[in-house]
Order: sequence, then structure tokens, then C-alpha cells
Amino acid sequence: MWFEEIEEIFKGYLPYYILIFLPIFIIVSPVNPVTGSSEFPVYRMQQYDLHGIAHGCRSAGINLEAKSLTGWSTPRHCIVAKLGDLTVDSFKNIKLKAGALLIMLPNNLENLSPEDKQHLLILENAMIAQEISIPVYFSKYSPELETIVRDIDMNLDTNDMSKSAAEGIINSIAANGYQIVVSSSSPSLRNDAKIATIHGYIPGYSSDGKIQTIVIVAHYDSFGVAPELSFGADSNGSGVVILLELIRLFSGLYAEQKTRGKFNLVFALTGGGKINYQGSKKWLEDQLDSVDGSIIQDASYVMCLDTLAANDSIYMHVSKPPKEGSPSSLFYKELKAAAHNIHPAATVEGVHKKINLADDILGWEHERYSIRRLPAFTLSTLKSHKDFRKYTISDTRGNLDSDRLMRNTKIIAEALARQIYGVPSGEIFGNSWNIDNKHIAAWIDFLAKQPRSPQILSTKDNLLVATFKDTFNKFLRDVRITNAVPDKRDPDFQFYQLSSGTVNVYSVKPAVFDLVLTIGIVIYLLILYLLIERIPLLYNLACSFTLNAKMKVN
Amino acid sequence: MTLYHFGNCMALIYFPYYLTYKHSGLSEYGAFWKCIQAGLIYMVTQLAKMLVLATFFPDNVSDLGNDTIGEFLKSTVDLADLAGLYLVLSGIPGKGHSKVLTAGIGWAAAEVVLSRTVLLWVGARGAEFDWIYIQKCLESNILLVQHIITATLVWLWSRHDLKQNIRSAVSILLLLTSYKSLLLDLLISFIGASMWMGLLIKATTTLIYGMFTLVIYAGLAQIIGIF
Repeated sequence: MWFEEIEEIFKGYLPYYILIFLPIFIIVSPVNPVTGSSEFPVYRMQQYDLHGIAHGCRSAGINLEAKSLTGWSTPRHCIVAKLGDLTVDSFKNIKLKAGALLIMLPNNLENLSPEDKQHLLILENAMIAQEISIPVYFSKYSPELETIVRDIDMNLDTNDMSKSAAEGIINSIAANGYQIVVSSSSPSLRNDAKIATIHGYIPGYSSDGKIQTIVIVAHYDSFGVAPELSFGADSNGSGVVILLELIRLFSGLYAEQKTRGKFNLVFALTGGGKINYQGSKKWLEDQLDSVDGSIIQDASYVMCLDTLAANDSIYMHVSKPPKEGSPSSLFYKELKAAAHNIHPAATVEGVHKKINLADDILGWEHERYSIRRLPAFTLSTLKSHKDFRKYTISDTRGNLDSDRLMRNTKIIAEALARQIYGVPSGEIFGNSWNIDNKHIAAWIDFLAKQPRSPQILSTKDNLLVATFKDTFNKFLRDVRITNAVPDKRDPDFQFYQLSSGTVNVYSVKPAVFDLVLTIGIVIYLLILYLLIERIPLLYNLACSFTLNAKMKVN
Repeated sequence: MTLYHFGNCMALIYFPYYLTYKHSGLSEYGAFWKCIQAGLIYMVTQLAKMLVLATFFPDNVSDLGNDTIGEFLKSTVDLADLAGLYLVLSGIPGKGHSKVLTAGIGWAAAEVVLSRTVLLWVGARGAEFDWIYIQKCLESNILLVQHIITATLVWLWSRHDLKQNIRSAVSILLLLTSYKSLLLDLLISFIGASMWMGLLIKATTTLIYGMFTLVIYAGLAQIIGIF
């Protein structure tokens, strides 16, 4: 009997061709027609190859169920966790067995407690040390994501024995699940990567014709666990800012014939400082191997500036202790004296570290120059080249001590000027020509506002590189850009695409929930059916009601 | 969520219409084409309403409560629905239950097909689960009752043999129909009720509304002798 009814439906108003058209509609319509109700911008972890060794995460696409740090079990789960809850051990476990990892950063990287900061540094270092096959993403803090993380943590308790069986069943039916989707293909190798080094100089003057050369170098890139999150205010924004301030100060002095020093000053902003000083390497090769010879071939010394606002003490890192009376040892003395004059608490120390030729990775930038037998040293406020603070996403503008940066700028400028003009223990920069704090602040704000990871800066016609070039052109002569391009057969470095993306978080229900919903709907429809059946009764009731009323009126 | 969920929603939204059509005896009258006709008139009415709305009202998608007077005026345009229903009713010959029911069901079915199907097709089939689709389906069920009531009221109003006091009551009810959804939405947002609570409120008011109408209709039906 019901069969006839269905037949009648088809005859009446559900024509048979629906049986053909409906499947066609289903096939042609897109798979995921909704955009997720929660979308977050996410930043992918570093991925690069250095000297043939792969670093960072190797894949990008995610389409997995979200689980908490403690609730996951299979490679079909994407772990969503807050940075503070992730430990190095749990990360190692996830790296091997889970499907993907999404990390939410703390609300404010500036307000972290010292322990949290230390935790972040260690974690970042552990993550970047090796190759990771699963996709790893970072997301900035957002309240919605926070709710999702909390929700996922709650769902953990489904296996909790302390709850009653009924609660467990309800939980397993109605639990809010989340599906994490990052739709992107696997990251491909970038062919257009090139690392720019901007350099120029101001010529000195000496009546006897003997002009020496001082080279000042700073790398301008930064590094953190995710390229788009590495702002590198201190490492190496501070070095760049000091270099730019030195350019401004000395080009002003050199413009006047009377105050022209007897040193040529060569300035270079090198790229790829965080990937084994590739920019310096290429630039030095070009300069030393060029036919017509370069002035840096017989430089008095090469001064590298690296991370100069982390501490009050300034360390002068050398690979070979400078000989007594050499320009670098003189500079060291001037630096000590200037530091003592300007800020007595600031100490200057020499640190001697031999170049480890067995290791591919160099510690400090000056080692690139020392290898080629140029006298070189690095000025830094970090004592060890292994300091994690050089490679962290917590190195933001808010974490930078501007006063210290300005003080250190003053110390270095003063020491350099004293050596150039040969006036020991005399204050050179004073009222009329001094460090411009506004200039420094403007530059550091500008630099720390944009992520400056090597892969982001290595694009063609990069804006930051162009800005540097314009600034150099304003003050210096003979400004050039040297590009380091990885070798085709044996590349020193390789970058990959996809440094950021969008994650869609879908809230999903278990399949059982759908079945339960169907049962609910069927019951509802049955009740409705019975009600509609009873409508005549209701009508009769209404009739008798009005009839009674009329009787009363009559 | 999935195609299965979409099926759930479709069953929930369209089955009550089928049941009403079937058990009100309309299928025996062969009123199917009349229902389609009502649907067509519904479309024309909506087009006319849209024209008016697009011409005279600024394009503000402000949420409810910001611009109550604007929303009120927009609801006034809904009076055109009543005119449309009147047109539908005048196009259906005969009198009595089937006339009113045909108009109401045709009208409501056209609305549900035109306004809900795409929403469900796009929304309920995606990966994301949201209760809103189930709620929309239940709301359509309430709307079915509402449209039958409105059709009844319009029919009552068009009768000349209605007593004056009942006539004015019918007029008031008709006017309220246009503003009912707005007033209810305001009430719901005012007391801050959840979606489910809101649905319950809508269902209850519609039922009370329906009882009133049924009583008036039954009174008139007995006088003019249709059963």
C-alpha cells in the first residue's frame, strides 16, 4: 500500500527525472560549498635546505580531525595546542606519530614571563633543528581559536571512567568535533631565490696619500620558527640600524673637507645572515676575486654588527686575537674607553673563538672574512654564537630595549670616530652633530614591522632591499647590489614556497549524531502526522465552541 | 554536514507539506495545479515587493534593533502579501476548506521551495555542522501553519456576510500578520532568548493565532453551511 503512495508522489509532483538530475547536481556541485565559520590566518613553519641538509617542515596541506595534546592517538589527528602547553618531548612524539600540528601563540609575546620566554627559545630551537615530515602551523592568538582549543580539551573526557555510562554515550553522540583544513598543495622549491647584499662606500682623504679602509657589515635578515613571524628587532634589526646611523653620521662628516677622515668607509648590508652568512660569502668572493681589485682587499679591519641591544655588555668576537698595535686592537681600546665614558655599567670584553673548519655552519659573520685572511671581528651583546635569542619569533619591537640600542649606537660611533680622527678620549659627537634618536627609532620601527626571514626577502625586486639601496644612494658612493644565487647543481641554500595560509576550522558532529537526528526527525514527523489526522476533531471542537456561544447569545 | 544531513533537513522541511496536502483531502480534488498557480502568484508578489524595497529603502543590512522604524516600514511592504493571497483566493473557484487550504499550502510551498532549498543545498551539505539548518526547517513548519492562517483570514475578510465586530477583529489580525515576525524578533532579541527558545515562542504565538482564526472561521463556516 505504501508502495502505491510513493508511486503517487512520483506521478504527482516528484517526477522521475529527479532520480537522474539529483545525482548529477550532487556530482557537479563543489565538494565543500561552505566557507568555514572559523577562518584563521596561519603561518607555516620554516622550510629550507642549507648545505644539502633539510630543515623545518616538509608538507603543507591538512585535512584532519582536531585533537588536544593529550587526546591524540593516530596519524589521522591534527593536534591543536597552545604554545605554552607544548614541551620538547611531546613535540618529538608528535613529530613522529601525529598527522599535523597547529600551535596557537600567546596573546602577547612581549608580556611573557622569563621562564616562558626560555621555554619558547628552547622549543623553537628543538623544532627547527631537524626535518619534520608533518605540516606545522602557527596561529596568532584569537579568542575564537582559544574557545576551540578549550572545546577540544573538554572532549578528551569521553574516555573518562569517572563519568556515568549515560553521560559517556551522550558525550560521544553530541560532542563537538572539529575538522582542521588547510588546503594547499605540497610546497615546491623556489627557483627565483636570490640573496641581495647592498654595499657602498665613502672615500677618505689623507695628505700623504695613504688611505686605509674600514669595512662595516651587518646582515639585515631575521630568523624564527615561522618565516612570517620572524621580525628580528634585535637580531639583526639593531645591527642594521646602527650601521645606517653610522652611515648618516660619517657621510655628514666626510662631506666637509675639514672633517674628512683618513679612512675609507665601506658599508655593506648583507643578506642571508641567518643561513650561514650567504650574502657575506658571495660579496667577499666577488670583491676579492674581481680583476681590478677592491679596496676591501687591504682593509684595516672588517667590523660586523650583530644583535646589539640584548645586554649591557658588548663583546668583541674574534677568531684570532689581534696583534698589539693593529687597527682592530686600537679600536678595541677606543671602544672600551668610549663605553666607560658614556655608560660606565657597559663593559666591553673580547671573546676569542677559533673557527671550526669541520663545521659547515659558522658562528659569527666575521668568520667569513677571517677565513679569507682579513682582520675581522663581530660586535655583539651576546656572548655565545649559539645564543637562541638570535633565532626566535619573540624578538619583536616590544621586546627591544630602545634606550640600550641608542646607547650602544653612541658607544660604537664614538669609538669609531675617535679612531678615524685620532683623538683618543675626546668626545666627538656632541651638540651639533650627534646620534639622532628619532632616526634610530624610525628605522627600528620600520624594520621590526615586517617579517624579514631570508626566504621572504629573497624575492625579485624586494621592497626592503630597494629601500636600503635608496638610503645608501643618498649617503654613499658607488652603491651596488650583489646577488647570491644558489648554484644549480650543488646549492648552498634552497627555499620553498608557502610561508603562510588560511586554516578553516569546521565544527563537525560524529556520524552517530546524524542517525540520532534522523530518529528524532522521524518521531517529530510522526507526531505531526497524528496531529494532522486529528485536525477535524479540533475543527469540531471549535464549531461546538462557537455553537455554545451562539446558544448563549440567543 | 553531509549529504545525509541534507536529506535529514529535506525530510524535516518538506514532509509536513506533503502530509498537509495529503490529509487535508486536497489531493482528492486535484488541487495540484491550483497550488502551482498560487506559487506563481507568490513569485510575482515577491518580485513586486522587491522592486518596492529596492526603490524606496536604503540598502542597510543593519542588524535588528538599530533601525526599528526602518524595519517597521519594511514590514509594511509585507501587506502586499495579503493582496497577493487575495488574488490567489479569487482565482480558486468554490468555497470552504479546500479553497483556503489550497491557497495557503500553495503559497507556503512556493516560499519554502524558493527561499529554503538553496540555503539547505549550500549550507547543510557542507562539512560544517550548524544547528541553524534544523532550526530553519522547523521554522518553515511554523510558517506553513502561519500561511494557512493568513489565507483563512484573507478569505474571511473578503466575505461580505461577516459581522462588523468580527470583521474588525479579522482586520486587526491581518494587520498583525505583517508585523508579527518583526514584533517577535524584537521580543526575542529583547529578552535575549536563544534560537530554540525563539522557535518555541514563534510556535506558541502561531498556535494561539491559529486557535483564534479557527474559532472565527468555524463560526462563519457554520452560518454559511460548509463543513
